[in-house]
Amino acid sequence: MYAIVKTEEKGSLIVQKTPKEHRRGKGKTIKIIAIVMLALGYLFPLIWLLDTSFRPKVEIFNVPPRIFQAAPWVTFKSYSFSNFTLAFEKYQVGLALINSVLVTVSAILLTLIVCSLAGYAFALLKFPGRNGIFFVILCTMMLPTITLLAPYFRVIRVLGLYNKHLGIIIPYAASAFGVFLLRQYYIRLPNSLMEAAVMDGASHLRVWWQIILPVSKPVLATLAIYQFTAIWNDFLVPLLILRNKTLHTLPIKLQAIDSVNVAKDYDAIIATSFIAIIIPIVVFLMFQRQFIEGISGSVKE
Amino acid sequence: MSSTVAVRKKHGGKFFRFSKIEPYLYIAPFMLLIIAFNFYTFFIGGKMAFTDAQGINVGEWIGLENFTRLIFNEPDFWPAIGRTFLYTFGCLVTQIPAAFLLAVILNSTIFGRIRGFLRASFYVPVLMNSVVAALLFRMLFNKDTGMVNWILGLLGLNNNIDWVFNPAYTMMLMIVVSFWQWTGYHMVYLLASLQAIDPTIYEVAKLDGAKPLRTMFSITLPLLRPAFTFVMVMSAIGGMQQFAYSYMLFPNAGYGPGMKALTGVPFIYRIGFSNNFEFGYATAAGWLLFLFILVVSLFQLRFFGLGQADEV
Repeated sequence: MYAIVKTEEKGSLIVQKTPKEHRRGKGKTIKIIAIVMLALGYLFPLIWLLDTSFRPKVEIFNVPPRIFQAAPWVTFKSYSFSNFTLAFEKYQVGLALINSVLVTVSAILLTLIVCSLAGYAFALLKFPGRNGIFFVILCTMMLPTITLLAPYFRVIRVLGLYNKHLGIIIPYAASAFGVFLLRQYYIRLPNSLMEAAVMDGASHLRVWWQIILPVSKPVLATLAIYQFTAIWNDFLVPLLILRNKTLHTLPIKLQAIDSVNVAKDYDAIIATSFIAIIIPIVVFLMFQRQFIEGISGSVKE
Repeated sequence: MSSTVAVRKKHGGKFFRFSKIEPYLYIAPFMLLIIAFNFYTFFIGGKMAFTDAQGINVGEWIGLENFTRLIFNEPDFWPAIGRTFLYTFGCLVTQIPAAFLLAVILNSTIFGRIRGFLRASFYVPVLMNSVVAALLFRMLFNKDTGMVNWILGLLGLNNNIDWVFNPAYTMMLMIVVSFWQWTGYHMVYLLASLQAIDPTIYEVAKLDGAKPLRTMFSITLPLLRPAFTFVMVMSAIGGMQQFAYSYMLFPNAGYGPGMKALTGVPFIYRIGFSNNFEFGYATAAGWLLFLFILVVSLFQLRFFGLGQADEV
């Protein structure tokens, strides 16, 4: 029976396509073209931004967009870096870029260390109050703390973090989601992994550093990526905390360039926007898997 | 490190001496941070809401005055809360069905190799700064030079619409930006949930002669219920705390024409940080919004089911 079915299947491969199958093939192509067009349309605002950031100011607000006015190789002739030069020279966007990188990288590193240590203890060590404390941490995840802007601002001031990058970096490490994510991962690690090491007389700190951290690279990458988008794009908290222009991160810099009431430098705004989004996009293209897992990882929980 | 090992070897036990406090040392950095930035904020906020604190001035205890002023005498408060709900509702009813539709389309087998590209294209706006998205859409919706009116003109429709400065379009504009930025996020989540469904269930249904529509309503949707709840709760919590669009989509931080873009958090920011620095008053408003958000998320969890979330 099995053999017959198999030969039949094989046979159908050789047999010419029936008209119905032909139509189905055509429908498939149309569907694919339609969805690809939809995706490109969805990306259009972004494509416009990427294109316009290299165009001279007079072409920025061309209608229809300059890119549609003639063949690409004709319109690409007007490409230049003048918008970027303006952004860097007039608005110190270079400094904002450095600030953004500095804040994001240090906050991610701090998050990974702090959350991983706590996650390790919550997952693998037994101590009185463990579940109670963990439950309280989970609850804070649901709370919309950001509505308490003024008290938060006062806390930052009291702790001497006002107008400092540390005022953004340190609070980010208190990521309840991070502890939760890592704990769930550590709890599923095979016990044998740690037992052997403990038998050999390794301390917990050593087990954490030499065994747990290396095997949890995928989940650490997921958390790093999650924190990266959150911190890189954070707007409200830096707006509250960073007063000095020299400390501004990219989103605040954009707000500052835009806050000029008359004759806004839209060319500088577009160039700065380009810088602010190109880094996450490149990082995404490099680590697509971790991004998607960061979202869908919670599906499995 | 070597000394502790030596100590342990001498005692011959499995754990070394301070093993009792050791776990607490590991959670200490995290606990200190969460106490400082969460619990301490709640503590200070609990007091501040009942004072007339202004800026760095601690102020005096004034009882419930901030709350009564907000609820009975503040012309902007209830409209701001109403807009918060309207915005959040608008985001939910547009984004989640669209995200689900996209997820179902992308889940179909015909997209084998280009699925990654499609998923990435819908996801990329998620990576963008909300400030950039707001500024970008302000330009796209510009009356004279924007792409939207140009396309409307191509289609032969009325293209003389002043999207940014006409208060009738303010809320719609914010919902549109949010749609563009966040639909892809929900789509990726729902797509992952779709792919987590055991394919044999569908095979059995097919053998039983179930039609695609029937399969959708009797199998897919019920199985996705926890995913829908999760997406809805997260997107409601996010929507109700929205700030960047109100602040950046319309020129000059005016919260839109006639302040029609002033939702909850921007309202709090405005009274706390841009007018008279009324910290006590802003904190009272913060607690009320805090309560609204909490009620909405608990209601959603209750109404749509906790799903798997209660197994934590």
